[in-house]
Amino acid sequence: MPLAKRQFDAVVVGAGGAGLRAALQLSEAGLRTAVVTKVFPTRSHTVAAQGGVGAALGNMGADRWEWHMYDTVKGSDWLGDQDAIEYLARKAPEVVIELEHFGMPFDRNEDGTIYQRPFGGHMQNMGAGPAVQRSCCAADRTGHAMLHTLYQRNVRAGTQFFVEWMALDLVLGADGRVLGVTALEMETGDVAVLQARATLFATGGAGRIFAATTNAFINTGDGLGMAARAGFPLEDMEFWQFHPTGVAGAGVLITEGVRGEGGYLLNKGGERFMERYAPNAKDLASRDVVSRAMATEIKEGRGCGPDGDYVLLKLDHLGVEKIEKRLPGIREIAKKFANVDPVKDPIPVVPTVHYQMGGIPTNYLGEVVVPGKGGPNTVVPGFYAAGECACASVHGANRLGTNSLTDLLVFGKAAGETMVRFLEENPGHPELPADAADRTLARIARLEGPGGGESVHEVGRELRRTMQAHAGVFRFPDLLAEGVKRVKEIAERAEHLAIADKSRVFNTARVEALELQNLVEVARATMVSAEARKESRGAHDRSDFHERDDANWLKHTLWYREGDRLAYKPVNLKPLTVESIAPKARVY
Amino acid sequence: MANGTHRKLRLHVMRYNPRVPGDAPRLQTYELEEADGMTLFIALTEIREKQDPSLQFDFVCRAGICGSCAMVIDGRPGLACRTLTKNLGEEITLAPLPFFELIGDLSVNTGKWMRAMSERLEAWVHMRAGELDLTRIEERMDPALAERIYELDRCIECGCCVAACGTARMREDFVGAVGLNKIARFRLDPRDARTDADYYEVVGDDAGVFGCMSLLACHDVCPKNLPLATQIAFVRRKMAREGLG
Ligand SMILES: Cc1cc2nc3c(=O)[nH]c(=O)nc-3n(C[C@H](O)[C@H](O)[C@H](O)COP(=O)(O)OP(=O)(O)OC[C@H]3O[C@@H](n4cnc5c(N)ncnc54)[C@H](O)[C@@H]3O)c2cc1C
Repeated sequence: MPLAKRQFDAVVVGAGGAGLRAALQLSEAGLRTAVVTKVFPTRSHTVAAQGGVGAALGNMGADRWEWHMYDTVKGSDWLGDQDAIEYLARKAPEVVIELEHFGMPFDRNEDGTIYQRPFGGHMQNMGAGPAVQRSCCAADRTGHAMLHTLYQRNVRAGTQFFVEWMALDLVLGADGRVLGVTALEMETGDVAVLQARATLFATGGAGRIFAATTNAFINTGDGLGMAARAGFPLEDMEFWQFHPTGVAGAGVLITEGVRGEGGYLLNKGGERFMERYAPNAKDLASRDVVSRAMATEIKEGRGCGPDGDYVLLKLDHLGVEKIEKRLPGIREIAKKFANVDPVKDPIPVVPTVHYQMGGIPTNYLGEVVVPGKGGPNTVVPGFYAAGECACASVHGANRLGTNSLTDLLVFGKAAGETMVRFLEENPGHPELPADAADRTLARIARLEGPGGGESVHEVGRELRRTMQAHAGVFRFPDLLAEGVKRVKEIAERAEHLAIADKSRVFNTARVEALELQNLVEVARATMVSAEARKESRGAHDRSDFHERDDANWLKHTLWYREGDRLAYKPVNLKPLTVESIAPKARVY
Repeated sequence: MANGTHRKLRLHVMRYNPRVPGDAPRLQTYELEEADGMTLFIALTEIREKQDPSLQFDFVCRAGICGSCAMVIDGRPGLACRTLTKNLGEEITLAPLPFFELIGDLSVNTGKWMRAMSERLEAWVHMRAGELDLTRIEERMDPALAERIYELDRCIECGCCVAACGTARMREDFVGAVGLNKIARFRLDPRDARTDADYYEVVGDDAGVFGCMSLLACHDVCPKNLPLATQIAFVRRKMAREGLG
């Protein structure tokens, strides 16, 4: 296989919101930047985000970044790092205003300011309430508007994209510095080394490890797989967010913005059951709380439909006009994918896997940090991560709605700025090791060699089924233990994949096999970390350890691929400038 | 929802990989059983998983917002992920979008074309010099105007309008309804410092707004129901005035 080498100042892997925001910083600084992406930038999954981006602008009434910070810490069930959370909440208004200047078509208020809607878990007065309107939106297609705006800005800056290129592995120097990636050009089937003085991962989430997910097909956790294979740990992978309102059967998302605008959930008896589970916040409680309530209703026989396996989301009372103005995309989706017109009838919904709280460990500057000589958060030179693939950690055990888009902007920009500084201070390319691409080439050769026999689709299906059954909304000790065993078996099978189509050009089968190997790493990290965490916190809810256990478990999990080893590191409870928010019971 | 017996569907798919030496365009037929709520996306995925791993097509979001999966469905450009098979006959013909560079089978390179169009039209807000002041609150904007801009900004750049366009078939450099819609969008935006004279520079010719023959197939096929006919007519009127001016 021919092996080309190309040199850049920086390589950004991923062209979703996080990758594009970082790339803009790099391109505008005049650095030679390659943005590598599996799909054309505006097709990236950020395009599907609906409800909005959170920032304490205070356009609808009093709001302060300190309140946003408090809500995020509480939402995270105190597993989020408070320095990163302060940074997020404090910087959010700036990045949103910046986006507005770039031309983002936000909805507006009568006075011309950006319209903001309520979202789950966002409150006034340090959690005391009432709900605050903090989500800046472009109707219910905020991600689309944001991604296109960022893309336009990158076209203006002349950013160079490598479209339909798939990064395969990290390239490491002898001293542990990251020197770029190997990548597959899908059109030709060639593998190249993209050498860079600074490398950013912005590869998005990995929701495809589950059978039912709101995530796109390309969300296969490639960044996580690459980091894990290179020996870096993955942080807090047991925490997966189930979004309360995925269309039953279809997996397509109905934004929380529907409940923000006044919609609510009903069980079989027509009861607004969230009043029982969260008397204050009701349908706008945090997502883990609402998903558990729904799963409980269904489990206890109060689900709707012939099989009692979903609940209903009612919004007809909002009126056609409001639905058309604020939620037009939702009406479209409900008609197409649920066969109901929400102007008249409620939408059948189930909790559906949506977001990965864990990821590649970073600090609030976007630098990847791992246990090492400098303590538990030693910076890996030349390596950065931002967006859903990173764990800063701002979302902790449960993300609040609208905080991911904020995360992309804040930490995409921060990572870009940090990289610009690093590149100034570290001119010159370190030498590439001779075996830079060996790991990758061996992996590809194995797929094509005679040792295989396992079908990509069968192994993939088995993986998704296993994760769905063993790491769901409620977790049980026996199912977790069994899940660990099964996932390890599946990982073993994934070492022996065979692809029927061996052609070089645009070989989808090969790409799917390489993606599956990444999914397997993510699934292993998830099961092993989940089985080990003997408490319930945020999205991780165990039947045998019902309570949060701060004495033993107020700490981050770090999973290493080698031997499925686990390590832990403390949560940073110390913000950058304000007082620490001490753990307390989390009620909504 | 369930309806007992399911139809047998026959999908006739245009196959051709221009990069494989000796390959020639041909129709290949796949048979499969229809399922409840089946979309073309589900059907094609099932074919790829169970019958033919070499079949090429593009999907990302499967919710009609990323614009990846446009193809010609029974002679008409549309999004595969939002096309329910129950609204089609038992014999379904699928072909790649014409006009765009063919990657293989149903997959075309819309992205490359969209980037070139964006560069040519400078499709971004041209801020007034020195305007990026992040200490300031955002630009005020009338909500009704914001909504009109948002309406036009809903374009997903799927390429259906260009594939259906008579002019694009004859002029490779035509910017298409997608391009003219962008001009309409930026013209509306008070944050964009450009004047009609500036826009005339980029679309005041036959590759731009005067190339449109008003056949308006673009308007009919737009999966997002953008008001393309009105927008093109509007931009043309403005540009004609600018040309005279
Ligand atoms: C339906 C839906 C609605 C949502 N709504 C909201 C919302 O309203 N508010 C909110 O805050 N959050 C929302 N979220 C979450 C949020 O949209 C995502 O977390 C976020 O967009 C992820 O952005 P990203 O930049 O990290 O990754 P993505 O946008 O997923 O981009 C990943 C990029 O990486 C590239 N890539 C991946 N692997 C490779 C590889 N190996 N080689 C090369 N390139 C690669 C892809 O091509 C892509 O460009 C929503 C999520 C979903 C699924």
